[in-house]
Amino acid sequence: MKVIAFLNNKGGVGKTTCSRTMAEFLSKVKKMPTLAIDFDPQCNFSHQYLKMEIDPVAPEGLMPPLHPDFSPTNPDDADWEGRSSIAEIFYGQGVVPYPTYIENLDLAPGHAEKLLAAEAVRKSEVVEKVHKQLAFFLNSPDVREAYKTVVIDTAPSKGPLTASVIKAATHIVIPSVMEEQPVQGIYGMLQLWMQESLVREKHRPLTLIGILPNMFKQTRLHKDILSSLQENSAIGKYVLPVTLSQRIVFAEVDSANANPRSIFDFPETHVARREAYDVCNYITERVFA
Amino acid sequence: MKKKRFGVSEALSRGLSDTINVVENNSGVFRNAILPLSRIELDPDNPRKLAISLEDVRQGLQKTDPLFERKSNELEKLRELAFTIANNGVINPVVVYKRGELYRIVAGERRCLASILAGKAEIEARVFNEKPKGYELKLIQWVENTAREDLTLNERIGNIRDIFTAYQSQHGVSALTATLLKNMTGLSLPQASYYLSVINAPEDVQTSIEKNELRSLDKAAILASVTETEIRQIALHACVNGCSLKELRQIITRSKQTIIPIKTSSEKKRGRTLSRVNMGSTHNTRVIHAIVHAVITRPEYANFSEQFAKIQWNHYEQATQGFKKMVTLLEEMIAG
Repeated sequence: MKVIAFLNNKGGVGKTTCSRTMAEFLSKVKKMPTLAIDFDPQCNFSHQYLKMEIDPVAPEGLMPPLHPDFSPTNPDDADWEGRSSIAEIFYGQGVVPYPTYIENLDLAPGHAEKLLAAEAVRKSEVVEKVHKQLAFFLNSPDVREAYKTVVIDTAPSKGPLTASVIKAATHIVIPSVMEEQPVQGIYGMLQLWMQESLVREKHRPLTLIGILPNMFKQTRLHKDILSSLQENSAIGKYVLPVTLSQRIVFAEVDSANANPRSIFDFPETHVARREAYDVCNYITERVFA
Repeated sequence: MKKKRFGVSEALSRGLSDTINVVENNSGVFRNAILPLSRIELDPDNPRKLAISLEDVRQGLQKTDPLFERKSNELEKLRELAFTIANNGVINPVVVYKRGELYRIVAGERRCLASILAGKAEIEARVFNEKPKGYELKLIQWVENTAREDLTLNERIGNIRDIFTAYQSQHGVSALTATLLKNMTGLSLPQASYYLSVINAPEDVQTSIEKNELRSLDKAAILASVTETEIRQIALHACVNGCSLKELRQIITRSKQTIIPIKTSSEKKRGRTLSRVNMGSTHNTRVIHAIVHAVITRPEYANFSEQFAKIQWNHYEQATQGFKKMVTLLEEMIAG
């Protein structure tokens, strides 16, 4: 089972869009049973596929809706409140993924309050537990049997949640806008990659697929920063040869009443679809090489 | 106006490259981990040869053990280390490699044993994925052991022999030289030379080292350089009886003066009897010019000075011809 994570501790670089595009490519185009995980307390990734609800006890946060399989009258569900998020892994509860409107794609949604609580943990022994929890969940036989790939959207942070993703991932992609501050975010993620790589066993490396130039515009700023990264002998080989451009269509498919709802529902000749296909296909080939 | 070019700041670019290089150069070679001490085993081939074993530390020493006294001393020293480990933990991780279900220690035996004594259950370790090759393994153990003060000269010499043997089998046969030893171990050249002469020392010196009568590298190296058996025996005896380095040097100097007769000039030399003077050679043509000039400016040779006027003295061939001409001239004049 391959676990692909999109990481950058700078917000607004397009992690969620990349995660969504990748998850839909693997499930819809490549027909692989895929689990999407939303590890960002903002829960935007979850909101793409579920009607997330306002949490009555934490009004700023979202929580998953009732699970379609939940039946209050079923004695098997007697101990279940009917909602399930990926954050249950920190509370010793089972995770019940939600089906989505995309074939082969399930979602383990976020839960703002619960994820924020895990992110806020600072006590060293608890932090260590948080770090290991996602890997523990993904290594369980049920999950490994059910899915061929997992795509994780992460919080824009370097805290326990991101560390947990790094421990669980097999491959990481760092999307970045070609501007100084997001590129600084790359540095933070490379540091985490380094720390994790030095404690990994040889047979399960953490592969850095590379830096994905995202929301790319044909401006001097973007082009110059991209070439300065490409020209650096160490960094150059980690800059992906494909880019995702700044296109309104990526935002349009995000809206609630979008039609079509997936970028891969557009005609094959559509420029945005072609671009998304090239990027996802490149990453997939690298992951399954 | 020149167009502005944007780019990533130099500091950020350096940070990114450095981080990538660390991962590329180090991941997969070893990893840092916290290991249960119950899964650690000692290396029976470690050159330090501690008598005490894991079982001795875990279960306590048996009075019936023939090595009881030696092991008791070792245990006492381990207790001192255990005290600091109990308070501050192990500062440097030990080095191990995976061997089946267990981890075999490459470096850090004492830290592991002392951690068990301190009641610890785990230890921080650098884990190699496979057994380091012979030479690298010996080298890690050597580096680890050189930092220790209680290693005898005999053990140090043994280590160097092991390192060289491992090096030979890995890199092909070559003679051990001081430079090679310096490159292998990182010792300074003088230190490497000392070790080399002790390794090649005459048998009497080696025996004293093995018996731990001779524990100083400096003294052993000086003794090894004494070729006269009689003098070496005197010096060795003085060493065993605790003379200082300065005294040792004095003993050797004095003995050489009294025991070895000074060579006289009448002693027959090897080779053919010389019947001519070798004039030698020089790279500096100005030397030749100065000699020739000193001769031909003498009043008695003034008539010949014209023959030397056109010589280019900075030209090796011309300067040589000029010098030969002067010698021929002098031979003729003096003979004539």
